[in-house]
Amino acid sequence: MWAVAPPLPRGPGLGWRLAGGGGPSCGGAVAGPRAAGRTRPGPRVAPGGRAGAMELLSALSLGELALSFSRVPLFPVFDLSYFIVSILYLKYEPGAVELSRRHPVASWLCAMLHCFGSYILADLLLGEPLIDYFSNNSSILLASAVWYLIFFCPLDLFYKCVCFLPVKLIFVAMKEVVRVRKIAVGIHHAHHHYHHGWFVMIATGWVKGSGVALMSNFEQLLRGVWKPETNEILHMSFPTKASLYGAILFTLQQTRWLPVSKASLIFIFTMFMVSCKVFLTATHSHTSPFDALEGYICPVLFGSACGGDHHHDNHGGSHGGGGPGAQHSAMPAKSKEELSEGSRKKKTKKAD
Amino acid sequence: MDSPWDDLALAFSRTSMFPFFDIAHYLVSVMAVKRQPGAAALAWKNPISSWFTAMLHCFGGGILSCLLLAEPPLKFLANNTNILLASSIWYITFFCPYDLVCQGYSYLPVQLLASGMKEVTRTWKIVGGVTHANSYYKNGWIVMIAIGWARGAGGTIITNFERLVKGDWKPEGDEWLKMSYPSKVTLLGSVIFTFQHTQHLAISKHNLMFLYTIFIVATKITMMTTQTSTMTFAPFEDTLSRMLFGWQQPFSSCEKKSEAKSPSNGVGSLASKPVDVASDNVKKKHTKKNE
Repeated sequence: MWAVAPPLPRGPGLGWRLAGGGGPSCGGAVAGPRAAGRTRPGPRVAPGGRAGAMELLSALSLGELALSFSRVPLFPVFDLSYFIVSILYLKYEPGAVELSRRHPVASWLCAMLHCFGSYILADLLLGEPLIDYFSNNSSILLASAVWYLIFFCPLDLFYKCVCFLPVKLIFVAMKEVVRVRKIAVGIHHAHHHYHHGWFVMIATGWVKGSGVALMSNFEQLLRGVWKPETNEILHMSFPTKASLYGAILFTLQQTRWLPVSKASLIFIFTMFMVSCKVFLTATHSHTSPFDALEGYICPVLFGSACGGDHHHDNHGGSHGGGGPGAQHSAMPAKSKEELSEGSRKKKTKKAD
Repeated sequence: MDSPWDDLALAFSRTSMFPFFDIAHYLVSVMAVKRQPGAAALAWKNPISSWFTAMLHCFGGGILSCLLLAEPPLKFLANNTNILLASSIWYITFFCPYDLVCQGYSYLPVQLLASGMKEVTRTWKIVGGVTHANSYYKNGWIVMIAIGWARGAGGTIITNFERLVKGDWKPEGDEWLKMSYPSKVTLLGSVIFTFQHTQHLAISKHNLMFLYTIFIVATKITMMTTQTSTMTFAPFEDTLSRMLFGWQQPFSSCEKKSEAKSPSNGVGSLASKPVDVASDNVKKKHTKKNE
């Protein structure tokens, strides 16, 4: 019943707010090929003037774009970039190169944890075989090949190519695509097991999104480092926080509290993550975009100590070399300070 | 096709592990617990904890494989007979008057016999693990290798983890990463049996079991009698690591001194690793504690 011209190419950043507003129409368009078939032969009638028609058009084209985006198969290309970036972060960890020379098996296992940690952790939470994902032979072989190339390529060529900043930015962007898709799949999976278990859904989505970061202690143990005092939950990095918020959003969508279709939510959240992460990687900064928001909310909810903690945390992270991996290495010295009482924390904050 | 060799292998592969080989396995495992410093005192002070440690040593591989396959980790407790057997062996090892069992065990032929029989159970465990994993994942040969390895040699991981939780061991060095000789040989066996199971290896299962068992028993006994710590795999590993992981070494020494080790150091440490890994399981733990 609404007007549909051939979908206009539209800037994704512009139209998503409209998609949120025109929820039902967008949801209909995204629901599947059946809905697309319904809207196509409609008469050319603009219901609410020219501006309204434009909004609607952008919403619909965005819906189709999001739909096709959410159906892009991940396996060869996106997964490959996910593996590359994950293992790159492993290589940034102190001692990882030496470890790969002396104990290749342990290094390989670490690389597998970096690539598939999210699946393993989610399987653990949902009571499925931990080793489940290892039955995907092709993924494992692909990840192993990436591990081999990054650590053992002659002249370090592969590593140098991948580390070249524009190339790395592309891979980082593609990794975020995989991350958002994993969150969505994780929540769908948890919803399948527990229909009303919101917290189960949030936890599963979070775990799927943040991946190895949540099991970093165990991963460090595999490398012969045992630091129980550093913990991802104590010092959440930006991807972990973003995964948590994303998991909450996707859970709301899954339980129909958020009037957006899943495809458009995936699209919007992917755009957000990609832009944030690419920006952060390009500027080598570790400040998260949530800082400003948390600076306002935390004092209201938890008193003033929380805001100070966040500020301090991010400052500690920015000393590290690059990537979230280096962040862990900078933590242990800081963590003891942070665990001390609030007065001292405020003092150091002022000193900063 | 009814050659005596075939008959022998077939009969061997149908041997039941239950009474004797299991006893040998429990005996060797419990003696490994007892060789740890402070274990005897702990058994007097806190028998439950000591018993639990002994059970973890005896059934660790099964627990790890259950964890990996999302089966109840306490499944081993359901097998009452084996638990009772292991418990009684734990009891007589720790609380026998005059320490008779320990003195008997310190007699070398007894040790050889027990260790040899323990190695036989290893083969059975690997085969059981590979078959079990295959019933879950028809095509997942990585899973099959991993489960076979976990059943055969995963006990060390569980026991190390238990010690880590108890707080009397910290992975400061790279003890955790060093694959001991049993781990390596189990990994090899697991790969071989997986290939056999997926029909990539044209040899019947009982023959393979027979050959592999003879191989591991022979190497184990040789290593125990000669007290040698040179590994059977050392030359293979050396060449293999040179082939696979040695690409970068000639270049890396001049390029990244801070990151990569120089070539002699990198390969040398891998070659000298076997020296550190003592000949058998028992001795390995002993030295680990002493360090």
